[in-house]
Amino acid sequence: MPILEAKALRKIFKLGEHTVHALAGVDFAIEKGEFVALMGRSGSGKSTLLHLIGGLDRPTDGEVTLAGMQLSLLDDDKVTLVRRRNIGFIFQFFNLLPTLSTEENVALPLTIDGKDLNAYQEQITTLLRHVGLEERRRHKPDQLSGGEQQRVAIARALVTQPSIVLADEPTGNLDSKNSTAIMELLRRSCDELQQTIIVVTHDPRAAAYADRAVFLRDGLIAKELRFKKSMKVDERLSTILKTMENIPEQS
Amino acid sequence: MIQNILLAIRSLIARPLRTLLTTFGIVLGVAVILSINITNRSTLAAITRLFSESSGRTNLVVTNADLTLGGFDEGILYRISSVAGVDAAVPLIQSQTLLADDSQRNEFNVSFFGIVPGGLLVYGIDPAKDTLVRDYKLEAGTFLTEDPNEFHIVLVREFAEENNLQLGKSVTIRTPAGSARLKIIGLISREGPGQLNNGAFGVVPLDTAQKIFERPNELDQVDILAAEENRSPQELDALKASLQDRIGVQYSVIFPATQGKRVSQMVSGYQTGLNIFSIIAIFAGAFLIYNAFSMTVIERTREIGMLRTLGMTRWQVMKQILLEAVTLSIAGSAIGIGLGILLARGLIRVTEVFLAQDVSDVAIPASALISSAGIGMIVTLLATIIPAWQAGRISPLEALRIRGNSDDTIAIQRGLRIGTAFMLGSLIVIFLLPIPEPFGSRVNNMAVLGMMFGGALLIPASVGLWERLTRASVRRMYGREGQLGSRNIERSRWRTALTVAALMIGVAMILSIRAVTIAFDRDIRSWIDVYIGGDLFVFSSIPMRNDLQAKLAAVPGVDAVTPIRYLDIKRVKPDGETEPLALTAVDPASYSQVTSFAFTDSVGDPADFLAQLAGGDTIFVSSVLAEKYGLKQGDTLTLKTRRGERKFKIAAIVVDYYNRGMVVQGSWRDLKRYFQVNDASAYLVQVESDADETAVQQQIDKLYGKRRNLTIQSNQTLKSSALNLIGQTSSLFDVLAFIAMIVASLGVVNTMTMNVLERTRELGMLRSLGMTRWQMTKMILAEALLIGVIGGGLGLLFGLFQSRVVISTVNSTAGYDLTYIIPTQGIIVSLVIALFVSQLAAILPAARAARLRIIEAIQFE
Ligand SMILES: Nc1ncnc2c1ncn2[C@@H]1O[C@H](COP(=O)(O)OP(=O)(O)O)[C@@H](O)[C@H]1O
Ligand SMILES: [Mg+2]
Repeated sequence: MPILEAKALRKIFKLGEHTVHALAGVDFAIEKGEFVALMGRSGSGKSTLLHLIGGLDRPTDGEVTLAGMQLSLLDDDKVTLVRRRNIGFIFQFFNLLPTLSTEENVALPLTIDGKDLNAYQEQITTLLRHVGLEERRRHKPDQLSGGEQQRVAIARALVTQPSIVLADEPTGNLDSKNSTAIMELLRRSCDELQQTIIVVTHDPRAAAYADRAVFLRDGLIAKELRFKKSMKVDERLSTILKTMENIPEQS
Repeated sequence: MIQNILLAIRSLIARPLRTLLTTFGIVLGVAVILSINITNRSTLAAITRLFSESSGRTNLVVTNADLTLGGFDEGILYRISSVAGVDAAVPLIQSQTLLADDSQRNEFNVSFFGIVPGGLLVYGIDPAKDTLVRDYKLEAGTFLTEDPNEFHIVLVREFAEENNLQLGKSVTIRTPAGSARLKIIGLISREGPGQLNNGAFGVVPLDTAQKIFERPNELDQVDILAAEENRSPQELDALKASLQDRIGVQYSVIFPATQGKRVSQMVSGYQTGLNIFSIIAIFAGAFLIYNAFSMTVIERTREIGMLRTLGMTRWQVMKQILLEAVTLSIAGSAIGIGLGILLARGLIRVTEVFLAQDVSDVAIPASALISSAGIGMIVTLLATIIPAWQAGRISPLEALRIRGNSDDTIAIQRGLRIGTAFMLGSLIVIFLLPIPEPFGSRVNNMAVLGMMFGGALLIPASVGLWERLTRASVRRMYGREGQLGSRNIERSRWRTALTVAALMIGVAMILSIRAVTIAFDRDIRSWIDVYIGGDLFVFSSIPMRNDLQAKLAAVPGVDAVTPIRYLDIKRVKPDGETEPLALTAVDPASYSQVTSFAFTDSVGDPADFLAQLAGGDTIFVSSVLAEKYGLKQGDTLTLKTRRGERKFKIAAIVVDYYNRGMVVQGSWRDLKRYFQVNDASAYLVQVESDADETAVQQQIDKLYGKRRNLTIQSNQTLKSSALNLIGQTSSLFDVLAFIAMIVASLGVVNTMTMNVLERTRELGMLRSLGMTRWQMTKMILAEALLIGVIGGGLGLLFGLFQSRVVISTVNSTAGYDLTYIIPTQGIIVSLVIALFVSQLAAILPAARAARLRIIEAIQFE
């Protein structure tokens, strides 16, 4: 039983005369605890797919089922609740609230949910340790580096122990050293916390941390790669690179 | 250039709401400045015209030293003429009367000068000499002939027309003996002396006037035309002195201008008030313009960045924004001028109520039009400079990103320092530096403005404090998401400060206006309570003989009647100087049956006080006087009487605000004995408890109303018409406060919209984390609420200061003695409005935030 299932997803954008088929019929499923990388060139529909899965937008056609709920049947407030409790988002621009400290930013989803934060102190401390920011808990975002801010964002995505974590180009705004740290952190989150994660990236080195790589092209899934648990990151990377060469240019 | 202008117009049209808001700012400023300018000019012109033209070319005026003693013997005329330097001595007798038929109601107006009689003012003049000093502009018929005995009258044309009086026909007027018929031989225009008594004015030959008003050989006034070579200021001073010397101290020789002095003093107080509103309107306008343009720049950051990447220079960007401002200011000024002229009409009407004096609109001077439009344009440009400069600073790269909150701490620190300095300086000026009047109150007013300015500068540094103070209550109202919102106030601090300042000014204005209104209200209520006791107030435009008391008392349903006589007298101070006072003469026996005195600080039995008063050589003094001169029960006060200076024993202290508290009460007996007056100004009538007040009123009217020219008013009506007057004038100021609040609320709309626009991506992120639309709405509302709280709080603080200073200014410049009462109601109303306005104004931006499409918001970069 997959934790998330997308069936025959289509998304059409109308831009005046033009219609863009951002997604042209995608079937996709992910099991609990799986770590998937969504790959493809710019404009291939990665972000659009992530948005539909995360309930940020509605498909033109098709259905998304998350933790047993069909998103198309829910109104905006219900979908919002699903997002709040079942999904964690990580963005390219870390999007922290500048007025809140590290700790408060991490706790933000709980705050929004009206939870009593005292009950979650221990969990937040554990999470901060997990992302290596225990010492920075009282800092404001403008006192943190880009890599540190993204780690706060990851902790924030994990704090509700969501069914699935969705990350759109989480390393897109970071240098390679920080990128590696972030991907390792996500990997650990999957391994140690049994988090289900989907990362959108066009960077093969980032994708090499996943268990599975899904390649999109022109709004369709062009190819899927599954890696054995035993496979090293370097091996995964070379497989990915090889696959990318074989996928033809956009038509 | 033309292309640039077209581009500017296009971009203005593309944002109609913003453009409208900016235009409103300009229109507001220009219209208020212009209308106040016109009003002030018209009022001043009307007052100076009245007092200069009606006294015409007169150089000096001789009156009885004690004005209320009325006339003096005309024999003095020859003595005056014989003084070297006097070219002509022009006699004058004047009387207030009424048309005998029903056509003219015996009206009186309640104004800020007290109760002013309506009716017809008649001057008895020497036709041969009078035209030397006064210009009557004949419109029809002929002027009075040289024969001083003819029963002729010349009336103001408008007055004649209003009362259906025709040239060549006769008119009957009321006189002490009954009535007199006069032939209308000429009509004059309502100019010069024709403006007196709001145009209800006529002239008759001197002897005729003396005859019909039963004042043989009496004069009220002699106007003096100095010889050509004696008209320099020094020469006139010398002439005044030698005249005074010649005719003795029972006469006053004055300059004609001094008559209007008190009036112009009052007017100047009123005008200062209006001018302050002019300044506030400019600030409010500038605020709106600044706000709207800042918003435009934020909204167009990306567009401007793109233009910069295409090679537009900073200066070109600035120029484009400034060009939009100029285009708008031209349109806004044009509308503002039109509106200003209309607004002036309304303001002039209010001024008329305030002064009980007609004020005709003056021709609108071109200079006023140019200066108000000029100020409009300059203010618009100044208010646009900062946004334009910010637009110029947008770098091509920055434009591709969303701008963070670059509130530099240095500016906030500087604001803290300068603000503190302003606050301390103002406090020192207000509390520690005693500055003598007339500058004191002006300086204090400036100090309060300085304090508000300082307060506004302190806002950025203090928002965190406010946030912490209100955290618990915000959380109770809007929950945790509300708290997130109120913490956002620490972000665009200057923008917040500006909006808070606007709210603060609005609240402070409401408070001061309330404080002044309730002070006036209480003052008027209190003196009316004393001034008019009993149930009915019987009043006439012509003197009432004292036999009326018994006649009124005989009317069925009347319980008691008491006469009152108001008299202007002089007090002799210990140093020999004199000071004008009012005397209220009462008949203690009947007075106590109808109404009572409000005794204060007096030891003893009230009945005994009245007995002492009845005994003679005794007075009561008002608490105001007592306080001013440290007078106590048992002290004596010296008054100037017809029988010389007399000492009167003070039997008690009473509360009486008549004549701004400069009043003493004496007995009817002393009035007759020492002032030789034996007529009443009014009768107070007590109706039997089981009688119908209205029926009694009608009965008195039927019996004596017409025969004795009486006006009978119920105490209630009189009170309400006095209070109505207060209401009318304060409503003007309420309108201005209302405008200030609207401006402030537009500021809140703008600020919150800017915040939402700037934080679009962040709001999208919050939505993706699971914040519902309603939670988002609450977050925005909470931030606005905090703006409302700070604005309301500071406005309250400064408003209380301001209202105190305003009241003491009114007291010192207009001669009132208002007591400061904390405007509790005003405090509640203004706080509620501040909070309510902040919430109402945030609804639109909050809806905008709630409607955000999440994916567009997070892709916003
Ligand atoms: N809001 C939108 N309106 C119009 N077209 C869009 C919108 N969002 C995405 N697209 C189009 O859909 C396609 C897929 O976009 P996206 O999912 O963002 O691609 P990727 O994330 O893989 O770069 C692109 O051609 C893009 O131009
Ligand atoms: Mg993308």
